[in-house]
Amino acid sequence: MAESASSKVLVIPCSGIGKVHGLMAREATYRVVEGLEPETSDTLCLALLVKGDEEAVAAVRTRPCITIDGCPKLCSYKNVQLAGGNIAESVRVVDAFKGHKGAQPGTATELAGDGWTITDEIAQQIAARVRELCGGEEQ
Amino acid sequence: MAERFAVLPCNGLDKAVGPLAREIALAVVEACQGELVCPVLFNNLPARYTKALELPLIVIDGCGTRCATKLAGEHELKTARKLQVAEALKLMGESAGESLTPDAQRLALCRLLTERLLSAPEEGTALDSEAAFAEPVEYATVTHDKFIFRIPRQGYLFNENHCWARLAGNRARVGISDYMQQELGDLTFCELPEVGTEVGQFDAVGSVESVKAVSDIISPVSGRVVAVNPAVAETPEIINEDPYVHGWVAELELHDLESDRALLLEGEAYLALVRQKATDYRP
Repeated sequence: MAESASSKVLVIPCSGIGKVHGLMAREATYRVVEGLEPETSDTLCLALLVKGDEEAVAAVRTRPCITIDGCPKLCSYKNVQLAGGNIAESVRVVDAFKGHKGAQPGTATELAGDGWTITDEIAQQIAARVRELCGGEEQ
Repeated sequence: MAERFAVLPCNGLDKAVGPLAREIALAVVEACQGELVCPVLFNNLPARYTKALELPLIVIDGCGTRCATKLAGEHELKTARKLQVAEALKLMGESAGESLTPDAQRLALCRLLTERLLSAPEEGTALDSEAAFAEPVEYATVTHDKFIFRIPRQGYLFNENHCWARLAGNRARVGISDYMQQELGDLTFCELPEVGTEVGQFDAVGSVESVKAVSDIISPVSGRVVAVNPAVAETPEIINEDPYVHGWVAELELHDLESDRALLLEGEAYLALVRQKATDYRP
């Protein structure tokens, strides 16, 4: 059943620009909100949140959020937390590399085969969590 | 090699235009071997980018929220060049589409906007008038007795002070309308603003004087003056002869066209205003 926009899980990646891990966070988000779980998930621009946009702040406080961070600075997690967001899950791209020793993910502008493989795994992990948060049977 | 820039884009995520801003930012950085400024990290740790921001700065916004511009403003960064992708696409008669993943057509538009951004002129010089403002102008006319008033059909915005803004990318040229120049009569003097002046919407951006009266030129748009037209200061009658093209007064780098536009008239609406005014016209 389709969820209303106001009840969709928010998948919030870091800015994801300038580093390959950030690009993977962004692409995984798109995979989830446009492909795997378009009816139950949505994304939100982190810059809106850090600039204090009222709608963005209200959204992270009232809807379950999954943050995805490329690098250890954890911009997404920290800023959603700072805004009083309801963080149901925090995902780190670097953690997904643990099962892929020596993987070559690509560059900050273009993912290579390994990069897409790991991105798809992250996306599947997030999609499963979205389903769980929406009352599904996953995980 | 091209001049190096620091590039501050918006986050570019949750609207279709956002990923286009990101594509352009990455392409600019690659082309000029510049420095990319992550907007969120910059907001949290500005010191991280102290060195990068010694370079001239390009600010790229996707949507009208203009997060990157706001961020630059809050940190008092001087902006060398600026692009708002949604507005630029609109001026090109294009749109960002619906998908967060740009298709080939949108990527081609990104390449075009990247080239434009990197080839933008230095402050103090007008955009290449042969290119950016060279589109031929098609006029509608209002006739009253022996008087004929011309109004450009497209590409111009007007205020009710009979001043216009002609748009090209994130810049606009401003001047006075044919109706106003005829009402004033032969112009004897045109005062230009100084390059670098910040102009709010409906602020004076210069003045014109005729044998009948002195009148401020009320800017339809907000922005920073990046060029002026010295020809009209030397020869004000250019404005009488060709008010909409060669009679431009100042060129502005736009601050917030989307907001400004709400208080302006398109060609058709201004035509109706002039038609109404023309019935009372006493030269």
